[in-house]
Amino acid sequence: MKAFAKLTTVAASTLALLSVATNTVQAHHSFAMYDMNSTTVMTGVVIRIDPAPNHLQIFFAPMTDDHKTVLRDAKGEPLSWAVEMGGSAQMARQGVSVNSFPPGTIFSMGLHPLRNGENAGTLEGGIFKCPERTPPPVGKHCDSVEGHVHIGNAPLAVAKKSEK
Amino acid sequence: MPQVATRFARLSSLFALTALTAATLLASAVMAQDTVKLDFVSVGRGAPLTADMNEYQVIGATRRRIPGSPPPAQGGPAPQFIGGAEPGKTPPGIEPLPIDLFTSKDFYKDRALWTDKRYFRCNAPAAIEDLWGGNGVGLIGDNPPTSAAWGDCARDYPREAIVSPYQFKTAQEHYDALLAETKKRGGPTQYTMATLPADWNGVYQHPGRNPRNQYWYRMRHLQMPTVLSLLTPEYQTRMVQEAYHNGNTNAAQWPSQYCWPEGFMRRWHEAAVWEHNIMVSPKMVQIMAGVARNFVTNIHIGREFNLDGAVPRLGQDVPRWYGETIGFWDGEALITWTSNIQGWKNHGAPEFSNKMQSIEIYTANRDASGKFLGLNHESIFYDPESLVEPVRIVRNFNKQGEFDEVDPLVFIECTQSIFPIDGRATPVSPGQTFEYTAPDMLGRPWAKIWEQFEQNMEKPKEKDIFSF
Repeated sequence: MKAFAKLTTVAASTLALLSVATNTVQAHHSFAMYDMNSTTVMTGVVIRIDPAPNHLQIFFAPMTDDHKTVLRDAKGEPLSWAVEMGGSAQMARQGVSVNSFPPGTIFSMGLHPLRNGENAGTLEGGIFKCPERTPPPVGKHCDSVEGHVHIGNAPLAVAKKSEK
Repeated sequence: MPQVATRFARLSSLFALTALTAATLLASAVMAQDTVKLDFVSVGRGAPLTADMNEYQVIGATRRRIPGSPPPAQGGPAPQFIGGAEPGKTPPGIEPLPIDLFTSKDFYKDRALWTDKRYFRCNAPAAIEDLWGGNGVGLIGDNPPTSAAWGDCARDYPREAIVSPYQFKTAQEHYDALLAETKKRGGPTQYTMATLPADWNGVYQHPGRNPRNQYWYRMRHLQMPTVLSLLTPEYQTRMVQEAYHNGNTNAAQWPSQYCWPEGFMRRWHEAAVWEHNIMVSPKMVQIMAGVARNFVTNIHIGREFNLDGAVPRLGQDVPRWYGETIGFWDGEALITWTSNIQGWKNHGAPEFSNKMQSIEIYTANRDASGKFLGLNHESIFYDPESLVEPVRIVRNFNKQGEFDEVDPLVFIECTQSIFPIDGRATPVSPGQTFEYTAPDMLGRPWAKIWEQFEQNMEKPKEKDIFSF
């Protein structure tokens, strides 16, 4: 019985590690709404983190091309995008939490966008956090900024368009 | 009104309880709101209250049934007005301010008046949310909101009885001092399954329903400026913002009406939790309660917090709606520390931040013969972001019965049927289509709804975090 319990623990740990390493999410909803053959790489500023137990989401505003501010909607409010990822405990273990990503944090990541073109996606690859109040140079992302924080083992995703 | 109806139904069921419960109630009548009597002077628990809330009257404005009389529906007299002046009138001897909460077009501009109880017409925080009928008693008058009734300006509960009597600046200091004290006394007590205080197991009546068990957090016995004096400037603004939209614009946003989370401080609200189910085991004490949501407090006995993060915590760096709790026993006292709490609000009471932490002490109440009556619950709250100094709430849980003697705990799933439409909570029927704005759940969603009534106000400017 003890051996079985130990085996179960090892199996669970291995699964958890694999999950962290590959950014695989144990889905609590279908991901069919996302275009998994398309990847968008973005640098944005955190508006809010929703540390949902099943899938943490970062709500963020994409930076303008000159990296001096963020895109805004017709009312002048920051244009909100959402990127969802693993559960809040899993992501906190990797370094993404409401405390480590407060509003105003600049970060870069890749995402598989929604098929319907709305402003949301699911995470692809690693997350790179810029040093506080330090946007990346124009045309670059946070992985190029000295002092950045790398979340997860994967590199920054490479942008690609769906072939369909 | 459905919530009111449910409340009345539950209240009726309370009255219909068994003879056992009646006997318990009788026993509880002697348990006035007070701290527990210790046979030593503790560094951080059991300090006497400087004012007994039971000796104070509610401020109003409200209408209450005359004590001892039957309800009006059963031929009893109409509820009695409690307060300074009925709607449309001014209390004798009181000079109203030229502008107040009920006449102002911009409460932000009136900040200098917030320390004057006349700005709120001497209404208690809970009374303000009742003026439009929040709990079924409307006292807003024929020309709302300017005709709002007045509370009693001569009544208030002293601030000194609210703030913590202990000198600790943080919950950690407080907990460490209590642990050191317990060690000096030969503890902490290590219980086994055989030696646990088994009579703690069972169901306890809502403290707010216990006779002579009033406590200030019910927000009916104290003036608004007294509450505001406990808060930092930002949280003062938030509390007045809510009072304005409760009393002036009639746009109350009570989280549970939308099935939103209840939040940590709702455990002390007068209506959010009813019976408390308490189970004791050597490594964990569990308290469960709830009306619109489930409240689960798991007290991890003997564990220690990870102190590396923004706040002490047990698990990962994720704020939890009811925090995480550790504790230890000193004889029949269970001393606990809760941290890692998600900041939120309790309607009619101050908002609190993610830095909120509590020290809570549960101590057995026994009568002279040693019979277990229930638990004294002393709570001290530390939140440097919202509170200018720690505050304390003391109340009693009276044991209602064993698990097999009363109705079982109900697990609650809240399905939303009330939505904010045009800024006001509105019941929506199945199939009805309406415009809905997704709330920013961790960004004070209630305040976002209120903003539509604040278009012409001069709000304090927020820091621009989006320009570099």
